[in-house]
Amino acid sequence: MAGEKVQKVIPEHMIPPVASEIVERGGERYLQSNEAMFTFYKRTKGEFSKYFLGLRDEMKIWGVRCPKCGIVRVPPFQLMCPDCDFCDLKWVEMPHTGVMNSTPPITYFAHSLFQSWVPFGRGRVVLEGAGTALPVHVFTTKGVLTPFIFKKGTPVKVVFRTERFGKPTDIFAVPLAELSEAQKKKSPLMETDLDFSAPVEPKVGAATGAAKASYAKALDLLKELAVGVTKSPRAQHNLAGWTRRIAVRTSSGDFGLVIAEGRLSVTDKTPTGTPDLVMVADDPQLFVDWLTFKEALTNAIIAGKLWISLNREFTTIFKLDRLPRSVARDRG
Amino acid sequence: MERTYYGLSQMAVRDCLRDAAIGIKDVDAVVYGIYNDIFEMAAIPEHPLQGIIGMTNKPGIRVTNGGATGAYAMHCAYAWVASGLYDTVMVLGVERATDCFDFESMTETPEVIKTIGWSGDTFFERELGWTASDSYAEVVLAYMDDHPEDLKPEISAKISEILCQQAKHNPFAQRRDEVVTAEMAMNSRYVVYPFKLLEMCVYSEGAGALIFASEEKAKAIARNNGKAPIWIAGVGASNEHSVAGPDYTRHKYMGRIWSDHIAAEKAYAMAGITKPVQEIQVVELHDAFIKQLQITMGEMGFVPIGRTDALVEEGIMTPGGKVLVNPSGGLTFGGHFVGGSNIFSTWSARREMLERGFARGLIHGTGSTVSQYGVVFVLERS
Repeated sequence: MAGEKVQKVIPEHMIPPVASEIVERGGERYLQSNEAMFTFYKRTKGEFSKYFLGLRDEMKIWGVRCPKCGIVRVPPFQLMCPDCDFCDLKWVEMPHTGVMNSTPPITYFAHSLFQSWVPFGRGRVVLEGAGTALPVHVFTTKGVLTPFIFKKGTPVKVVFRTERFGKPTDIFAVPLAELSEAQKKKSPLMETDLDFSAPVEPKVGAATGAAKASYAKALDLLKELAVGVTKSPRAQHNLAGWTRRIAVRTSSGDFGLVIAEGRLSVTDKTPTGTPDLVMVADDPQLFVDWLTFKEALTNAIIAGKLWISLNREFTTIFKLDRLPRSVARDRG
Repeated sequence: MERTYYGLSQMAVRDCLRDAAIGIKDVDAVVYGIYNDIFEMAAIPEHPLQGIIGMTNKPGIRVTNGGATGAYAMHCAYAWVASGLYDTVMVLGVERATDCFDFESMTETPEVIKTIGWSGDTFFERELGWTASDSYAEVVLAYMDDHPEDLKPEISAKISEILCQQAKHNPFAQRRDEVVTAEMAMNSRYVVYPFKLLEMCVYSEGAGALIFASEEKAKAIARNNGKAPIWIAGVGASNEHSVAGPDYTRHKYMGRIWSDHIAAEKAYAMAGITKPVQEIQVVELHDAFIKQLQITMGEMGFVPIGRTDALVEEGIMTPGGKVLVNPSGGLTFGGHFVGGSNIFSTWSARREMLERGFARGLIHGTGSTVSQYGVVFVLERS
């Protein structure tokens, strides 16, 4: 269609320009160039087509049952049962509820294809009656995904995306405990049936004397770090090509962090205009802990001590987390 | 930056031959351990190596088995020699992971992770964000479901510190100059819960080579170079199912690493080992993640499953303990150049056996999704 934006199999923003450069190491010059290894496919889903069409068009989950041993396998990853002389399996429609096979991992540091999702959980659900576990995304409707929401045996329900492509991402699971009785009964349950309210920036509490001291200490350490970055090739490498204006609010006062041109700058006030990222912490001590290697910012977010406005800005958090160590390593 | 995988391969082969005091003409066949075509930016990445390592017109085979590539390459070389097909076989493991580059973050690591991400099940899992880390984290978390009192954070942090200190004695350890204390490891950020940055291996580049020889040839080499041969007394390997289910005999039971357990069991049976903690003095274990190292030590019978914290709490692997674990610094501090990593581990175990006079050593490799592949070798000194 004229004017319609076409989604590309390789996002254009990921494609680097044709270029080369000389890198010097130990007095020698080495040539390196931007290259890519790519292959396009029209790949069949073959015997799995019924399953993926079930997700896309029917909003059904299909499994396969062995007529000899009786095991039901979901997803239907094979046509025959290798344990029963390769007898043919029978298609069976599965219920949409089950339990977590085990505690799912939550990814905080993802590569470019999945960076916009972090933090995300990839778990396995044993649907009622199944003898294998179905890999799915797991989400909570209650804010940032933390490691303790799902565990082995947690009852869950599979939810269908509005836009479906015949892919594993067409569905995800949420804890049954987060659903109303009507949502529990509805089949298929759609993502539009759920309430993923936009997270509201938390208010900070009243400043204590200790918090005020921590705030002053944090600012001093941050300014030291900013100077350290100017002398640290590793830290500059960490920040290369990254530009962010960050507003930080604490009980004892606000401050700003600006990342630009491989440098970090610290201001006593938050940046003017809309920041790229807002961080909120009641206790500014966590910034002191970060800068003295006691607790990474990532871990403070996981522990619920630090709130961030955008999940996708975890990438910025990772870059910040690297800085103290990079500066220390270059200092020797 | 300074060497391609061609150059790294030549360096490893040259140093291996010098150590064995033989020439390349004495080698009958070569087994290449190269994990990932995408890292080397080449399908059939071994083909340009055949000539430049001096093996023109001789047999060569490439093995690729995920993280266990190096160990499986050794498994193949062992079989070639043990079968009598060849007398002297070289194993060459090589990888260059960090040519991969992410032009958005302007760093290598995300692209390295993406490259390994193509190893996940391409129909049902990869598009969910499968990574090597979250795949092994699944296993560790499931183990923690069954054994919530084990794998305490301070224990894995302490093990990271121990490995860091041990790496100081390894001239080839790629993170030899780094200082990581238990406190730093404990406080480092999560990459994938429960894995922290300073408690996991680092993908890298490098190469390693080993000579596998028949008894007669090995004795001849030993007479020539003046170093005692190291004998392979036991070999075991196992690949689990890739799909999760409750019965480990039919599918992957997520809370265990049965591949390591079965591989060790087979290797012990072959070597006549019944009490590994008393009979094996040095272990070079594929520590993709420190918590996985702990579970693997349990699966291999050095500590009970569910009590792997005993590695530190009972001093089993602390300095002066019953077993020297990863004196190389492991893949955590030595570097994980995938195809060559298990070869690097073998080099280290051999070094410890020769220098300290240990009677027995163990080599372990793990790989693929959800720790699916396990390989164990038991080594003996003359």
